[in-house]
Amino acid sequence: MGIIEVKKLVKEYKVIQKEKGLLGYFKNLIHPKYKKFTAVNNININIEEGELVGYIGENGAGKSTTIKMLTGLLTPTSGEVIVNGLVPSEKRIENNKNIGAVFGQKTQLWWDLPVIESFRLIKKMYKIPENEYRKNLKRFTEILELEDLLEKQVKNLSLGQKMRCEIAATFMHNPKIVYLDEPTIGLDVLVKENIRKFIKDVNKEKNTTVILTTHDLKDIEDVCNRIILLDKGQIIYDGGKQEFKDIYGNYVIAEFIIKEKKQSIKESMNLDIIHILEETEKNLKIKFKHDETTIMKVMDEISKYCTIEDIHMKEPELEDILKDIYKGVHTNDKKYDSTSENAI
Amino acid sequence: MTRVLYNIKLYFSFLLASLKEILIYRVDCIVGVVSQIISQLVEIIFIWIAFQNTENLAGWNFKQVFLLYGITLIAIGIADFCFDALYYLGPKYIKQGEFDKIMLRPVHPLLSIIGSSRAFTAIGYLGLGFIITVTMFIELNIPITIFLILKILFFSIIGALIIGAINTICSITSFWTYRSNEFIWSFFKMYTFAQYPIDIYNKFIKILITVILPFAFVSYYPTMDYLGINTYMTYLSPIIAIILWIVAVKLWNFALKKYRSTGN
Repeated sequence: MGIIEVKKLVKEYKVIQKEKGLLGYFKNLIHPKYKKFTAVNNININIEEGELVGYIGENGAGKSTTIKMLTGLLTPTSGEVIVNGLVPSEKRIENNKNIGAVFGQKTQLWWDLPVIESFRLIKKMYKIPENEYRKNLKRFTEILELEDLLEKQVKNLSLGQKMRCEIAATFMHNPKIVYLDEPTIGLDVLVKENIRKFIKDVNKEKNTTVILTTHDLKDIEDVCNRIILLDKGQIIYDGGKQEFKDIYGNYVIAEFIIKEKKQSIKESMNLDIIHILEETEKNLKIKFKHDETTIMKVMDEISKYCTIEDIHMKEPELEDILKDIYKGVHTNDKKYDSTSENAI
Repeated sequence: MTRVLYNIKLYFSFLLASLKEILIYRVDCIVGVVSQIISQLVEIIFIWIAFQNTENLAGWNFKQVFLLYGITLIAIGIADFCFDALYYLGPKYIKQGEFDKIMLRPVHPLLSIIGSSRAFTAIGYLGLGFIITVTMFIELNIPITIFLILKILFFSIIGALIIGAINTICSITSFWTYRSNEFIWSFFKMYTFAQYPIDIYNKFIKILITVILPFAFVSYYPTMDYLGINTYMTYLSPIIAIILWIVAVKLWNFALKKYRSTGN
């Protein structure tokens, strides 16, 4: 049994259908017309204790709605959510004792007080035993480099400093599950790395389950071992990070520096297994699949039209793959079965 | 019982943190207190002018009415100090999304909300109320005994709890409208009725402030007791406070449940 179990989860919103013009607004005021909007459409998730899950998708894909249902902030329209043996929407306060959450730019710290005061209040709120609190405070101060920040007022901290304190506050009561919604947004590279290291360390030490929502795929690349990809309220991928790359990213990107181009390569070449991404007088960027052709054959073909000076090859990164998925490149591919048991 | 104790302790921890927060803004505090006192002085002048034309109000003389006024200020001061943040539930917490953060705490959100009250300016009400009350007791030749002080303290806290419960019930509108503070304020303003002897009002207002919004129990009935006009009504006020809070919490929970199922 997983620590998070989600079955056939659906969330529908009723939104007012806007009518045009001032008259329309008045009409809406008196007799609003509602339209149903399905934010989360029949999803199944099973997460084991200690997993580091990257929960990704475009804006409006339904990520936040899912997290809100997992935390009990929203009641599902239908379906089942069980977190740590509890139904969060019914036993919200009980559930809150076992979880921690960071929501984007909103702070749970007391804005006008020194950071340490917030930590003390959190200690009281979660009834953290004195020795456990001291141990965590010492350890977190070390990894997140909070030494000089503890006595500063929260409002005087920079974005990066604030987020480091925020993360420490979230993990202070040893939550079993932590939801991190955009924890690295707007931060510089060093702080990002610091936070990622912290998440990995705590996960290793305490087996904390982490659900990470982010648009910075380096976070996922670095921290997570599992990816759940959401699109229009449905899960289109759920499985290991490497498998994700194998399925959607089983191609190679090759960049050629060329000269003496005779004609437009795109128009003359008749090999449809080579996709041309970019073509200029001196550059050519292509994409091909390993199992369909080899680099030698590709070079043979290209050298018919020009002279190759240099070549650069790379595996696609998570970001490249996701861009393709969002653009709908894979819509004709067979969808990966999100309910399959051998996902990891 | 330990849970209740934990909640009360936590509430005061929150309140203390809020107090520390507001005290950082020194000028704000001073300006706030001064403006509170001025606005109350305006009302005092009105009562004084009223008594230039009449000897008594429904059998109450000038000094007795002022005592009632002072006692009311003390109760309002405590209520403001402890429950002020209810006004901001709609415009601040729910509108700006701060409420989500409070909902993720392992405590009841209502406790977090009232715990974030930072009405330091209530000191203005309390101070003024205290001065008026003491002066009037002396003027009325009523000896200020320890027992009387304890009684005033007790009934003022009960009065504050009654105001707090009424404000909590009104704050439920926050789940539907961001302008709930105006709604709470308009109801809260009816405490003004309880600043004068209720016999001057017609039947409708009497029922309103004793049964529907029992502001009369905040200061009117206690003051009658202090004056020795014994009606025993004031001893009902703890029961009324308890009933009101049970109703308030039940209604609040119900509204919260509705709010969570519709989304925001």
